[in-house]
Amino acid sequence: MRGRAMRTRRIAAAVAAVLTAGTGAAGCGVAGADTVAGKKGLVIGVNADQPGLGLRTGGSYSGFDVEVAREIARRIGAKSGTPSFRPVTSATRESMLESGDVDMVVASYSITPERKTKVTFAGPYYVAHQDVLVRASDASVKDVRDLKGKRLCQVPGSVSFPRVTAERGVAALPVAAAGYTGCLDMLSSGALDAVSTDDLILAGLAAQAARSGGARLRIVNAPISDEPYGVGLRRGDVTGCEAVNKAITTMYQDGTAARLLKTWFGPVGLNVTTTVPQFEGCD
Amino acid sequence: MTAVQQAPAAAPAVAGPPPRRRPRLLPRTATGRIRALTAAVIVALAATITATWLAVGDARDGVRVIGHDAGPQVVATGDLYFQLTDMDAQLANALLLGRSQNLGTGRDQALARYDDNRAKAGAALLQAAKLADEPSEEATARDLLKGLGRYERLAGQALLADQESDHTAGPPSERVTGLYRQATDMMKLDLLPKAYNLTLDNGTLVRHTYEDERTSVKYGIGWVLGTGLLLVALLAALQLFLAVRFRRLLNPALAAATLAALVLTGAGAVMLGGQLDHLRAAKEDGFDSILALSRARAIGNSANADQTRYLLDPKRADTYEQVFLSKSQSVLYVKAGNLADYNAALQKQTDPKAFLGFLGDEANRPALPGRDAAMAKVLADYRRFQQDDRAVRTLAASGRLGAAISTRLGQGDNAAARDFAAYDASLVKLIQIHRTAFDDAVAAGDDGTAGWRLVLPAAALVIAVLVLAGVRPRLAEYR
Repeated sequence: MRGRAMRTRRIAAAVAAVLTAGTGAAGCGVAGADTVAGKKGLVIGVNADQPGLGLRTGGSYSGFDVEVAREIARRIGAKSGTPSFRPVTSATRESMLESGDVDMVVASYSITPERKTKVTFAGPYYVAHQDVLVRASDASVKDVRDLKGKRLCQVPGSVSFPRVTAERGVAALPVAAAGYTGCLDMLSSGALDAVSTDDLILAGLAAQAARSGGARLRIVNAPISDEPYGVGLRRGDVTGCEAVNKAITTMYQDGTAARLLKTWFGPVGLNVTTTVPQFEGCD
Repeated sequence: MTAVQQAPAAAPAVAGPPPRRRPRLLPRTATGRIRALTAAVIVALAATITATWLAVGDARDGVRVIGHDAGPQVVATGDLYFQLTDMDAQLANALLLGRSQNLGTGRDQALARYDDNRAKAGAALLQAAKLADEPSEEATARDLLKGLGRYERLAGQALLADQESDHTAGPPSERVTGLYRQATDMMKLDLLPKAYNLTLDNGTLVRHTYEDERTSVKYGIGWVLGTGLLLVALLAALQLFLAVRFRRLLNPALAAATLAALVLTGAGAVMLGGQLDHLRAAKEDGFDSILALSRARAIGNSANADQTRYLLDPKRADTYEQVFLSKSQSVLYVKAGNLADYNAALQKQTDPKAFLGFLGDEANRPALPGRDAAMAKVLADYRRFQQDDRAVRTLAASGRLGAAISTRLGQGDNAAARDFAAYDASLVKLIQIHRTAFDDAVAAGDDGTAGWRLVLPAAALVIAVLVLAGVRPRLAEYR
């Protein structure tokens, strides 16, 4: 952009100098039409009910996604100051991005080819995997196939349960719960044997359980999917996407990402990857 | 700062012509008016030539960067990803083959290819490091170099341990598998993402240059047209003034100058418009597609290696099967939760445009001559590759590991390795179509501005001489 402005000015200056009339043209910049890079008062959509990732307590948000969002905001433009957060759900995040209610979404938002047709994704900032959470005392589950005959939590609308049963053909017994927090309570109390969903969500739940003195839980570390968590941006914001990617790169290079992963998911024995993920690319 | 201080010194030199004594806007005498108009014509001529000169410079810069400089270099670094995946794939082949010689391919062949890839990867990495223009990119290139050293150490250990255990085709010993796991995990989680991101970063550089130069050339066309038409208007005004004042129908020299100015402006604008088109073709039909398809090729190659790893390390078979699916989906996307569904959906759909993923996105771009046929062939071959994969997995799942390995690595008619090679060759042909489009657009871009640096001063001279030749006799009438 600097090159273009300079060149435009150079032509303008040269021509204007030659023309005695001097029709001075201002090389008005076309740059930065609508991008999150360097934007003031950034509004970021995060989860409000996901312990370890994005959780609202009172008026403040905490979790890995929230911290990552703060780091990105800081790194893509010092002018933006403190970003403000707004809760999003899987049902609202696309429409809120489109309408401009939020500028950016950092909410365990998996990049998929279908979603890419509606949203520009920077990142992923982390590649999560669907995994299994069991009680620490239960040594019988070593991979997803060991869930045969076990009581597995089923959350309506979530793809995690059918991924084990329908897609992997593992005959687990469904036990319904309203959400993953409900699953966790039932796992702790012994009303079911296993919970399977993204490992970061499981690790967040397990860490919360550990803090509140609940049953000791164990992540099996047998991944059955790749869930690249992306930073959702308004479709077409390539400049913003490149800036966010650079922010994520430096976040991994200076050890910030490793520190955040350790803070939020370290205590529960999840194998986290502390090297930068493979980006999707911005166009 | 220095530039700011120097600027005023340069400005008066360029702005030399302004007539010092010009007490009013229009001189009173006819000679004065002719002189003023002539001076204005000469100034407008200089402006037109300058604007065209600068715009030609921008167009050349654009073609140079995309066609000869960063563009081809980025394409070269894009191959880095392929070479790294292939190193890991050949390592897996070598370990799976053991000392077996009866499959038509052997450990030595795999290792020779490994070494070849290693050498190329080193060269591409060096290139990528040179292109890096930001500290974070340089750090990525440095980390990559360090990581590659660590990977090689692990690979060496695995090969040595494997040679000591001396096995036939099939999974190697626990110890070898353990070492290979460390190596392949490092490749997958550490090296490949960095190599990929580095190419993306380098691609960003090309995109920025492209957009800057295109905008500059667009502005340039505006300036060329603006100054050129002003020149023509001034020439016409001079012609009209002379016709009225001296009651002559036409001043032939001035008419020729006007015509020359019109031709110069028109040709300049048309040439620059053509350059915009060549730039676009080089970037969008060439560069973008070459990069996207190279990625598809690298990811497909790495998926193919996951098939080997699936056989090599039965304990991790589930994980390797899952990454095979996710890589396949990034190459050609159909919604499916497991490989069997993916394959079924893939075999049903024959229109490449109906897919997402790298190949689907490419199929939906404007077609080049021969592109659609080449794409259809790629899809057909890809479908066969996926069908073979089902066969390999069905054999392995039914406990016939030996049959699975010979189907996977053998060179027979139905061998998966052969079908994969056919798919890869079709993909390379498709990439070649875009490569040709790229080369053609760059050549056209080079030709388009060729000679303009000579034409411009010559045209300036001709027009100036014609104007003076047209005006001088009239001024002489007053002496």
